[in-house]
Amino acid sequence: MLEKISVKNLKFFYGANMALKGINIPLYANKVTAFIGPSGCGKSTLLRVLNRMYDLYPGQHAEGEVVFDGRNILNSGEDLNLLRARIGMVFQKPTPFPMTIYDNIAFGLKLYENLSKSELDGRVEDALKRAALWNEVKDKLGANGLSLSGGQQQRLCIARTVAIKPEVILFDEPCSALDPISTAKIEELIDELKAEYTIAIVTHNMQQAARVSEYTAFMYLGDLVEFDETSKIFTTPTDPRTQDYITGRFG
Amino acid sequence: MASYAARRRYSTFIMGLCLTATGIGVVWLFLILFSLLVNGIPGLTFAVFTEMTPPPGEHGGGLLNAIFGSLLMTIIGVGIGAPIGILAGTYLAEYGRHSKITPVIRFINDILLSAPSIIIGLFVYGAVVVPMRSFSAVAGSIALAVIVIPVVVRTTEDMLLLVPNTLREAASALGLPRSFVIRRVAYRAARAGLITGVLLAVARVGGETAPLLFTVLSNQFWSVNLVKPMANLPVTINNFINNPDANWKQLAWTGALLITAAVLSLNITARFFGASKDGR
Amino acid sequence: MTDHTVRAYDDELMEIGRKITEMGGIAETMLANAIQSLVKGDTDLAQRVIATDPKLDVLEREIEEKAILTIARRQPMAIDLRALVSAIRIANDLERIGDLAKNVGKRVVAIDGQFAPQKIVGGVIHISDLALDRLHRVLDAYAHRDVEAAMSVWNQDEEIDQLYNSLFRELLTYMMEDPRNIGFCAHLLFSAKNIERIGDHATNIAETIKYLVTGETVVTDRPRAADGYAPLQTP
Repeated sequence: MLEKISVKNLKFFYGANMALKGINIPLYANKVTAFIGPSGCGKSTLLRVLNRMYDLYPGQHAEGEVVFDGRNILNSGEDLNLLRARIGMVFQKPTPFPMTIYDNIAFGLKLYENLSKSELDGRVEDALKRAALWNEVKDKLGANGLSLSGGQQQRLCIARTVAIKPEVILFDEPCSALDPISTAKIEELIDELKAEYTIAIVTHNMQQAARVSEYTAFMYLGDLVEFDETSKIFTTPTDPRTQDYITGRFG
Repeated sequence: MASYAARRRYSTFIMGLCLTATGIGVVWLFLILFSLLVNGIPGLTFAVFTEMTPPPGEHGGGLLNAIFGSLLMTIIGVGIGAPIGILAGTYLAEYGRHSKITPVIRFINDILLSAPSIIIGLFVYGAVVVPMRSFSAVAGSIALAVIVIPVVVRTTEDMLLLVPNTLREAASALGLPRSFVIRRVAYRAARAGLITGVLLAVARVGGETAPLLFTVLSNQFWSVNLVKPMANLPVTINNFINNPDANWKQLAWTGALLITAAVLSLNITARFFGASKDGR
Repeated sequence: MTDHTVRAYDDELMEIGRKITEMGGIAETMLANAIQSLVKGDTDLAQRVIATDPKLDVLEREIEEKAILTIARRQPMAIDLRALVSAIRIANDLERIGDLAKNVGKRVVAIDGQFAPQKIVGGVIHISDLALDRLHRVLDAYAHRDVEAAMSVWNQDEEIDQLYNSLFRELLTYMMEDPRNIGFCAHLLFSAKNIERIGDHATNIAETIKYLVTGETVVTDRPRAADGYAPLQTP
């Protein structure tokens, strides 16, 4: 199976504090890989290494390799803006920009591509359709993105990410602020998106990991404890720590 | 532990003290407004806005040259100070957020913010008026700009820091360059706060007298020459109120009322912008 | 294993486990009594076996309801999920075992008063002892989560099957020898078939135990004797 991203012996430091202690994990192309584990286990940190989001902050650095299409993206010469355009990210809290629904999506597009008005309209519509939001907003594209409900805002953020045609999408607890119906819509969306994208999702909701992913990684205290097919992890995990965590026996 | 009744009595007592203190503060404000209205309204004629300041001993006349001068210098002062303040505030909140000199700059800015305006006037006198050998509207505008800068730096930084980091991360995650993120996302999110900051700065310098005394002086006549002394409300009020001439005294009161009304309405507008941001 | 963070979850799982043990005990007693009544022609005992069966039905329903409720409430994963699914399956097997023992009891009541030569009953006693032994051991294996013990029961089922086949031939011979034996032997044959089925349920339970502990399902076919209905060589 094609490894879209290969993480090799990745160590990550917040100052002197080691948050990831040598992680090896593949992200398979067109599959959903879920990361689970208790708070502070490093799963969100790992996600933020994959698009080098940590570069926004001083005192954080990574060692090891993250190979994406044959290149180690941890190299200092990497064009971060291009990298982030190729590896999109959706956050825990919906973060629409303080502008219209249309502009929320067109905004990033305009920077990257020289599109005519009609092409731009088409791309915005396409992105909103992919994010299953088009029918709900097609009559109010001029409304402020912040006027949408939480679940709609999150789908707007997904549309925004999808619009610039990334290859990988990272989801950092995308449903933790949403109600069950909105959550179900996002999960359905993830299921559809994996046909075209490679997806990684961090979640605290184990049922969600079990529902949406093909592969699951259990992390604990900066280590990758177990990585396997989701069906295996949630029925017959090998490591007793995984078993304890997913069955709710953690101290 | 004290009984419920005792605690209630104590609470009522403290509440009483607080209300009294508030009352004392508010009473002065109303007394000031009241005396301004009583003394200023009788002189509030159409002529105030259309005629020049009169020479002593004459009847009639207005404040047109002073109002124009104040407006012009305030606009120039804010025009110089606000962009500098916003850029500096942006550096502190965005690029220099984790830099070691940021706290130093912030501390110095806070000192400047609380510096007596007369000292700023003296500084500009020494730095601009003396070399130019003339009091001038330019010098006054510079003095006002120096007062505007720290106010705008502070509000800009505060407002940008209020923009959630998640929004910046979300924009960066789309691969947008830093400058783009700041201009198109952070400024947009903080827009109401930034406007409020500038309006407050305008209100702050609108009534400043001390720095203008040393820099523009005043002018009895209509003047649009920026390198010459120019009439302005605060100094005019200062000159007229100390004169026994009844007409001048009346114009001084009216001018004071105008400044107060302008500052008050600016403050209210600023509040309105601030509130509309919260209510979003 | 460590406890769940939510203690009520442990309580729920433990209660289901207790009910399975209770069912196992009842099923075992029913089977033992049914055989006893068959051997001694004790219709009173047989009636008691029949009267016990509804208890198992009630327990099975309770286990199923509790397990479903726990699944709905706790979304169990891994070992917990397997424990609940296993509980439902084992309760079902035990309930069927109870039914089969009851059927034997009914046969005893039906046979009542008829001629019962000990040598004809002997084969049935033998197969019954084997079935009772398997049931006992598999319930032990469940209590101790012992896969090896369970798999030894699973591997030995062949023995019961073979015994049943030879018993089938034997009873057929008696029936052909003397037509007066036909009614009685037919009842015995059905009883033996019921007991052979109990052996099958014991192996089902053994398979469930393996799934419960390892998460693996038994894929290979159980060693099986030739079909009981294979063409017979008439003497």
